[in-house]
Amino acid sequence: MNILEIENISHRFSDGALGIDRINLTIREGEFVVIAGRNGSGKTTFLRHLNGLLLPDTGMVRIAGVPVSENIVRARQIVGMVFQDSDSQIVGETVYDDVAFGPENLCLDKSEVKRRVSEALRAVNLEAFADQRPYLLSGGEKRRLAVAGILAMKPRVIVFDEPFSNLDYPGTKQVLNQVLSLHNAGHTILVATHDLEKVIALADRLLIMEDGRVVMDGLPEDIIMKVEAFGVREPCASRLGMKIDSWLN
Amino acid sequence: MAELTPFSYRPGASVLHQQDVRFKLVFIAVISLAGMKAYFMSLSVLSFALFSAILIIHFPLKSILKELRYFFIFLIFVFAARALCTSGTPLIEFMGIDITREGMYDGILVCWRLLLIVLVGLLFVSTTRLSEIRAAVEWFLSPFPFIPGKRVATMMSLIIRFIPVIFEQAKETSDAQRARGVENRKNPVYRLMKLAVPLVRRTFESADKLAVAMEARCYTEKRVNIELYATRNDWIALFLVLCLCVLLSAIDMFGCLY
Ligand SMILES: Nc1ncnc2c1ncn2[C@@H]1O[C@H](COP(=O)(O)OP(=O)(O)OP(=O)(O)O)[C@@H](O)[C@H]1O
Ligand SMILES: [Mg+2]
Repeated sequence: MNILEIENISHRFSDGALGIDRINLTIREGEFVVIAGRNGSGKTTFLRHLNGLLLPDTGMVRIAGVPVSENIVRARQIVGMVFQDSDSQIVGETVYDDVAFGPENLCLDKSEVKRRVSEALRAVNLEAFADQRPYLLSGGEKRRLAVAGILAMKPRVIVFDEPFSNLDYPGTKQVLNQVLSLHNAGHTILVATHDLEKVIALADRLLIMEDGRVVMDGLPEDIIMKVEAFGVREPCASRLGMKIDSWLN
Repeated sequence: MAELTPFSYRPGASVLHQQDVRFKLVFIAVISLAGMKAYFMSLSVLSFALFSAILIIHFPLKSILKELRYFFIFLIFVFAARALCTSGTPLIEFMGIDITREGMYDGILVCWRLLLIVLVGLLFVSTTRLSEIRAAVEWFLSPFPFIPGKRVATMMSLIIRFIPVIFEQAKETSDAQRARGVENRKNPVYRLMKLAVPLVRRTFESADKLAVAMEARCYTEKRVNIELYATRNDWIALFLVLCLCVLLSAIDMFGCLY
């Protein structure tokens, strides 16, 4: 089943710059898609169309058959988004409050909110930090907190915008493990990055963006050799003609 | 980081943590009012009451005092201003400036009051979750039809949420500028401008990011809120606090001005 259907969407910013240009895509439920491209190629702009943070000038996005513009709250509930800068996503005064923010907005029952928060915190291994102040968490923990905030809304698609920025090796591994287990649990995963090395071994599909367009789309092993023309570094192992090993091993 | 401001919630299970927020808000209002007019005798009584409260809830007083060190510098300035600018019988004369007896008296009084009020606020903030404060503000504003209570409450809690961020960014920006030798510039206005302009810009940027992130998590004004409920203990506490305030005014009224 196609969870996301993107039909010919373009978006022009108010200053006249073209953010994305005629993108056509369908994404199946359960797919793991990596979107790569140089800085300013339009990855973030594209992702923001998936949950109605930006609306296209032309074309439309359908989520599980329903256009985003028809029911934006539903779109935001189904497509959860983890942003590049985890600090500025934190809303709550404590870890618990922050995770509860989403379910509270959905006007769920109190006991349901509580259940979802503890479930989400368990899923990202942050139960012990429920009463901690979020600012005091490490980079990797903050990003996992952001994931928990999304999980509590029970999304089917989870979008990560540059999930590895500012993370050290253990932090990257924590987040990678998280992404992998979410994928194994049946979530559709989209990851935007310009650093293929870390995730490409997990991906089913690779998209390359350039100047707001999707210029390549296919299996990672088929197109990975050609990515350098688009400002993305080809992973070392691939350069040496070896099979790419996961960062988790 | 967030440690920069002592004014933040500290999880716990003390009596004060369990108190209904609406009552706590009333408490700070009446205690502050009583404190503002109090003189030495009643200030001592109030200080004694506050310190007992601090002891009861196992408040980490030492670390708090350390974090309040900038506030103490501020108090010293207030004291100096009072001591130097009040006319009366001179106590010490130094290079043509008099430090008067009345000034000393006045300075100590004002600083003591300020310190107590800050401590009351600190006790409140560190034992109350932001979401509870928001719910209480909403509750107090709900009788006024022309004030959008929910919006005011959200705005307030976001401002509080932003204070540590602004502090942190101010520190980062000023460190970065010091690393590039801004201290060689002696003009304080120049330095202030160079600090303020990027700081304001960055604060707006992070406010914008936060707004987008809240939108992505379906932010609405119609959301589940904390239920506030008052227990018998809250009413007992209210009674005690009111007694305390009456006692304070009584002490002052009956002439014990020293
Ligand atoms: N609000 C805006 N107004 C005008 N132009 C914008 C706006 N937001 C982004 N752009 C422009 O749109 C283009 C695409 O930006 P986008 O943030 O989507 O790129 P990106 O691929 O996410 O880059 P990065 O890897 O740096 O995150 C850039 O050239 C950017 O300057
Ligand atoms: Mg981006």
